[in-house]
This record gives sequence, C-alpha cells and structure tokens, in this order.
Amino acid sequence: MEIGVLLNADSAEADELVALAQVAEDNGIGIAVVTGNRHADAWVVATWITGVTDRIRVSVPPRDEPFDPAGADSAVPAVLAKAVATLAALAPERTLPPGARWTVVDADADADAGSVRDAAGAGIPVVPVHTAGDVTRLRPLVAAPEPEAPAGRPHRSALALAQRMPGIAYDAVPAGLAARAVEPGDPEHRAVASTYLRGGNPGLVLRPRTVAEVADAIAFARDHRDIPFGVRSAGHGISGRSTSRGGLVISVGAMDSLEVLDRSRRLVRIGPGRTWKRVAQSLVSHGWALGSGDYGGVGVGGLATAGGIGLLSRKHGLTIDRLRAVELVLADGTPVRASDTENPDVFWAVRGAGANFGIATAFEFETSVVGQVGWAQLTLVSTDIEESLYRYGQIASEAPTDTTVFLVTGRARQGQWVVSLFAVVDHPDPDTVIARLTPFLDLGQLARQQVVMTAYPGVMANAVDIGPDGQQGFGEPVSRSAFIPELTRQFAHEAAELLSSDLVYFFELRAMGGAITEVPSDAMAFSHRSPLFQATAMSSSDDLLSAEWDRLRPHFDGLYLSFETDRRPERLLDAFPGPVLERLRRLKAEYDPTNLFRDNFTIPPAELPVSTMAGGEQTFETEKAA
Amino acid sequence: MNDYGHDLLFGSFVTPVAQPAQHGVDLALVSEQAGLDLVTFQDHPYQPSFHDTSTLLTYVASRTQKIAVSGNVTSLPLRPPLGLARAAATVDRLSGGRFRLGIGAGAFWDGIARMGGRKLTPAQGVAALREAIGIIRDAWDPDQQGPLNHEGPFYRIEDGDRTPYAHRPIPIWVGSYKPRMLALTGAVADGWLPSIEYIDGGLPGLADANHRIDDAAHEAGREPAAVRRLMNFMRASLVPTGQGFLDGPPEVWIDRLTMLALEHGISTFLIGGDDPTTLTRFGTEIAPAVRENVAHARR
Repeated sequence: MEIGVLLNADSAEADELVALAQVAEDNGIGIAVVTGNRHADAWVVATWITGVTDRIRVSVPPRDEPFDPAGADSAVPAVLAKAVATLAALAPERTLPPGARWTVVDADADADAGSVRDAAGAGIPVVPVHTAGDVTRLRPLVAAPEPEAPAGRPHRSALALAQRMPGIAYDAVPAGLAARAVEPGDPEHRAVASTYLRGGNPGLVLRPRTVAEVADAIAFARDHRDIPFGVRSAGHGISGRSTSRGGLVISVGAMDSLEVLDRSRRLVRIGPGRTWKRVAQSLVSHGWALGSGDYGGVGVGGLATAGGIGLLSRKHGLTIDRLRAVELVLADGTPVRASDTENPDVFWAVRGAGANFGIATAFEFETSVVGQVGWAQLTLVSTDIEESLYRYGQIASEAPTDTTVFLVTGRARQGQWVVSLFAVVDHPDPDTVIARLTPFLDLGQLARQQVVMTAYPGVMANAVDIGPDGQQGFGEPVSRSAFIPELTRQFAHEAAELLSSDLVYFFELRAMGGAITEVPSDAMAFSHRSPLFQATAMSSSDDLLSAEWDRLRPHFDGLYLSFETDRRPERLLDAFPGPVLERLRRLKAEYDPTNLFRDNFTIPPAELPVSTMAGGEQTFETEKAA
Repeated sequence: MNDYGHDLLFGSFVTPVAQPAQHGVDLALVSEQAGLDLVTFQDHPYQPSFHDTSTLLTYVASRTQKIAVSGNVTSLPLRPPLGLARAAATVDRLSGGRFRLGIGAGAFWDGIARMGGRKLTPAQGVAALREAIGIIRDAWDPDQQGPLNHEGPFYRIEDGDRTPYAHRPIPIWVGSYKPRMLALTGAVADGWLPSIEYIDGGLPGLADANHRIDDAAHEAGREPAAVRRLMNFMRASLVPTGQGFLDGPPEVWIDRLTMLALEHGISTFLIGGDDPTTLTRFGTEIAPAVRENVAHARR
C-alpha cells in the first residue's frame, strides 16, 4: 500500500533525515514528508532528498501564517509558492501533488494495513520515523495490497485517491458516467481544470454523452448542493463560470454532433459541445452559416443560451434569433423540448438566461444563406483615442447592415493606441467590400491590413484548436460589459480617459443594430435590442475596474452576462431589466425552484428573497454562513 | 595597487531561467566539469520567468560533488534573515561546506513590493542588511547557547531558534556599489561581490571602491584582506563583440584577469553569458593560466 514517512527536521540532523529518506526509498516507500522549522530547514532537506534519490516523492506542510516583514523568521507566501513550483519543475513527479492529503499515523511494529488505512481516513498514511529500524519495520505495510476499486469503476492509485476533494461522493458517480469522470488525481485533470481565461481546480468533471447521462449528472449535482457547480460546453466563457475550485463541472463537450434536419428550411440540429468553428465548417458546403460571436473556439451551448453578438449579427441577428427549438434537461432531471409551440416559456427563458434553467442537449437552428464575405483584420495606430472611438461609433452604426465591425484596443504605449478592427462585410462583391471598409481607415494610421474574400469558416478559423493539454487560463478574469445605446462624444471622452490609465488592457466595442433590432425586446429573455454597441473592458484589478466602470454607468443600458464578472447583486438587473427578471424569477420558481443552476448570473426563484441574488460561489458561501 | 593575497577562485554567474527547467542545473554541471570553483545564480523572485533561486541552489548542490554554490546576490527583503540563516546552514551541512552567502540589500523595490516584501528606502535597506548580517551570524554562532533574541529597527525576534551546525562560518559576500554599502562591506562582510558592468568610472572607480572598503575595514579594526574581492562579468565573450571587459580570445582574458588580480586585488572571477563552451574554456584554459601568472608574480 502507499505509505509515507514523516521526517522531523527539529529532532534530527539534515544528513540523518536524507539518509532515512534513502532507506525509505530502498524499502519501497513512496513519500517523505519533512516537517519542522526550528533546526534544519525542512524545505532544503526535502529538495536535497529529490536530488539524491530516484523515486520517492517529497512534501513539506504549507506554512499558513501571514508574512511579517519584521519577523526575521517569517516567509513571504509568494516566495514559498515559487519554491514549490521550482522544485516541481526541477524534479518532475518527485513532489507530492499539492492537493494530495496525508495523515500522520503512529503505526507500531504489528500494525495491520486495515487499521493503518482506517486511521488515515481519506489521506495517505504517513508514519513518523526516527531510525532506519523504524523504516524497515514498515515493510509489511508497504507490501500490503491496495483495496480494490468498486466494481465497474476505473482503478485509481492511492496517490490519485488522496487528491479527492471533500464534499464529493466520488463513489456515488452514476455507473455510466464513472468511466469518463475526471478527478483531481487523474492525468487528464490538468487538461480539463482551467478554461480559456480562468484558472480552475474542479473536484470532479462529469462528461455525459447522452440525454440520460446528462440527467444522471444533474441528479449527482442535486446531491452536491454545497460545492460550486458549473456547466461547460467548450470552456471559452469570459466570466469563467464553467470551472471552479473544488466544485462539480458537467461538461457536455462530447455532445458535439451536427445533422441537417430539413434542407429546404435550412434546419440543423447541433449538440452543445460543438465549437462554432466546426459548425461553420459543417454548414459551408450547403452555402449556409450561423452567426456566432467572433471566435471559433466558443462552444454552441454557452453562446446559444446567452445571446451571440457576432460578426454577422447586423445582417442576420443574434445567434439566438436563429434558434427554432432547444432540448434541455431540467433541474429535476426531466428532458424537455422547447420551441414557440412546445413549452414556449422555457423557450423564451433559454434564449438569454439558459444557464439558469437546465443543461441544453440539442439546439435546432434555422441557418442563414451566407456565401463569400469580406473578412478584414485592420490594425491602426491612434494618437487620439477619443476621436477614434467617436468616429468609429458614427461609422460603424451608420454602415449598411451587411457590415459589422468590432473594435479592440487597450493601454496606450508612448501616447499611442493600437486599434484593431475585425470586420465582416456580407457581400460577395470585393469592390463593395472595399467601399464599406474604406471609411474605417480614417480612425488612425493604418499599420497592417488583411482583407480576404472567404466563406464564414475562414472567419471562424481564427481559433486555434485546443490540444491535449486543454486550456490553461489562470487566476480570475476581471471583465465588465455594458450595452451602449449610442456612442456619444461624452462616452468617447470618458472611455478615452479610462484607456489613458494603465487599468484596462483589453477594450472592445461590438457594433450592434441592424437585424438585432428587428426582434421585439420581449420576445425572449435577452431583451437588449436597441443599443448600438456592446462594450467590454478587462483589467487585472477587480476593485479598480469596478470604480472606473461605475463612473461610466450613465452611458450604459444593461450588460451582456457572458462578458461580465462583477458579482454584485445589482448586476442581475442590468442583465435582465425589471419585467424580464420578474418573469424569469417566476419561471425559475417553476422549473428550478431549489436554484440548482446557480453559478452563472443566479436568478433567485420568485419566492426566495432578492438578497440571495449574488451569483454562484458567493451565494453558496452566503447560504452556508446563514 | 592592491593585492590582498587571496587564493584565486573561478566560477559562473548563471541566469536562473525556469525554461528549460534544467538550464541552471546543466550549467552548474558544466561548471563543475570545467573545474570551476563556484556556481552562482541571480536572485530575482519577482521575475516570473525565473526559478526560485534558493531551491535551485539547494538542488544544484545536491547534484554536484565539489563545486560551491551561492546566490549572486540573495534578495534580503524577500528572504528574512533567520530563515535565510537556517536554509544556508542546512545546505552547507548537507553539501560538506559548499555554501556561500552572497547577499544584497535589495534592488527593484517595486518588484519586491509586488511579491509581498517590504519596500524600504536605499538608506533603510543598508541599515536592514547590516542588522540582518548580525542576526545571521548570531544564529550560526556555535558558541551561543539558548534562544536568540533580537530587537532592532528592522527585525525583532523573540526566542528564535539558532542554527547551530553551520559546517564552519559561511562566508558572507555583499553586493555593493554606493558609499554606504561599500562601508558596510568593509566593516562586516567576508567578501565584496559587485558586477563590473555596474561599477561607475571603470578601473579608477574600482580602485576607489576598494579604497572605501579598505578604509571601512580599518575603521572597524579589521584587515582589508578580511574582505575577499569578487567580480561578476555579465558580458564575457571569447568572440570579440566590442562589449564587456572580457572580450576576445583567451589571451585577452588572461591578461585582464591577471591585471585585476595583481593590481586591484580581485581574487574571484564569475562569468555570465550562460554559454557552456565559454565556461569550459574559462575553467580549463583561462583559470590555470591566470593562476600561474599570479603565483609567478607573487613569488
């Protein structure tokens, strides 16, 4: 069985501890934990052990006390963290994974494996040793077999099992899901832990392939109300709600099929896990496309339950405007189909607030006829960002609806802003494309341009394929969203001020209008039909960005929830104006009365007080405290 | 012109880059193979592309047999003195006396603050370093018994634990350039560890700095020879580049290093550049020739 030795640096000399670790390794022991900090330095001893042994893993219990600069024996937490990362890099597989739990067990000479295992609980037993004899006495324990995995479950090493997180009934994962479930100790975990922008460390990722398995996964989620819960299609979401630390993730990435249902009506059925890049590739041979944001790596499920403000939107509307039916599994495990004629309330809610109502398993869209389009990526340099923003606002909103142009900029460098324009002109004639784009060239000095005639997959091809290592976002994304009814001179002025500070490293304006405005604002839960722009700002400081963004609020009318990380309760009313929220809360009470789907712009069911409106993990914290 | 009569030491000054992970370890092994006496690493914890130098030093020492290791120089504000003393003594014990404590008052204060360290003025930094060296030596002192207590302007310790088994007093080498730091170096350090690129005024500037250290040593009742004079050469190339003090074929290096040893008392030469071939030729061709020249001149 997996067992460790505990080496106490306070009660032996450093070289004696290293010698004990060598004896431990020679006797098949896999782990040496070095404690103490009064005599020899435990971290130095642990590092040294990795250098002079071949297999044994080392660990030093973390020091949790805060740093006191005047405390001559205090340690800077960031430096300690860096030391851990350095040893993990210098000696791969030679340190205990940070999440692996261990328990000190005083095993005497005749201790049997069962009692030692019981004493260690969920952790790996670690036995204090002072002499080589103490180590060799552990041989019978080392030779004892590990317990068998429950029938039908994948085998996991003791080290993997020790990384299981509290509050999750791993052995209760439904059988069909167990084979594909990813736990923290699994090699695949690294590839599924983080999303595009957010670092995560989920306690369990369930990956259903069928509607029945989605229902099983939701049942498992119902039994785990005390941990964060996120749903993932492709894990691109800017707000990062599809991962967590210690929580449950249901990933529908494997449900990625696409089939044509009715050629004459251009009707297609798409699984939530397919990326928009692959959707575009599948539709192009029919001469069709579905507008889908501006990045091919986004998953269908995340976009088609929120909105979809894309580079075809001014001509063809939001992605959800093309949706004709959706199938989802509700919180109680019931599969439902929703359309204008079947469960119309659900259909209304899913289109803008879908994350609150269930896990979508299939979407049926009516695609648009889209042939060759002009696709332009222009880079300009601006010395007057206020003027550039203002002019962009005028040109982009007055452009014909076949022309959709997004603007991206960020911090100034030496008084200059790099302004990138991403433009689609849905028109097959190159001269018309050039004519449509020409006015935008005045926004700054043109530094680079790439304009091609291409089919829509050529636009979505900007996303790199996600490799076997998955996505490696880290930290917490800090992003703000706002709908801008009209890009006024005053807004351009204040936005330019924001961009003149160092605070915002990414700032985007997405042109709206056109076909988006043709849908009545009460037609679906997404109700922001009249604004001409959607603005996004990203920063590394949540507090500072909140303060600055709040100053701009007079220019705003609502927000797009997919780009928003502000967890203050009032943001919910920005995403869903009063009457919309009231209807959503009534429907929430009907379809998810216990608020199982709570991690992404939580809509409190009608009978719950509004004070629980803060989103997701914070809500969970509050509930637990209450 | 000074020659303090120290034995000559030759070594490398390696960038602790984190990618590739074994970069520093490999260059340490090359250094040892080349017969060099020392491998040293910059210490900039706030530099995200670098390893933790303290961990790297320990690991390198565990993977080598003869070569000595040191931070060049350790950032005191991010490595408080008692923990530093304990770690140093532990590596020294495990390595059979191969640890040297290169230390500095701290540079890049914004980086230090960002990492969570205490931001000090340059003057405070000097005073804190002097106080810290006292604490470190106290912690190592085998003649001291009982808990370590200290109450100073920058550090306070109540019932601290000594680190009683330093193999022998570990040399403390201070990185310094400005008058206050040079005075500290002469007064309390076992060595002076600057980089030639940062010494203002070229060789006359070097002579001036040496004088300041000598004067401070005298004032503290020490012999100037108590302070070894080391030197980093960050830009050192066997192919002439027009940059750097060591710039050209081995003969050029040999002449210049011999001159520095005999006329400026520099007795430890540490070269940067992270190039295995240069390190190998430094250890196998250049170092023996400089040793021979200096021994000959001293006869």
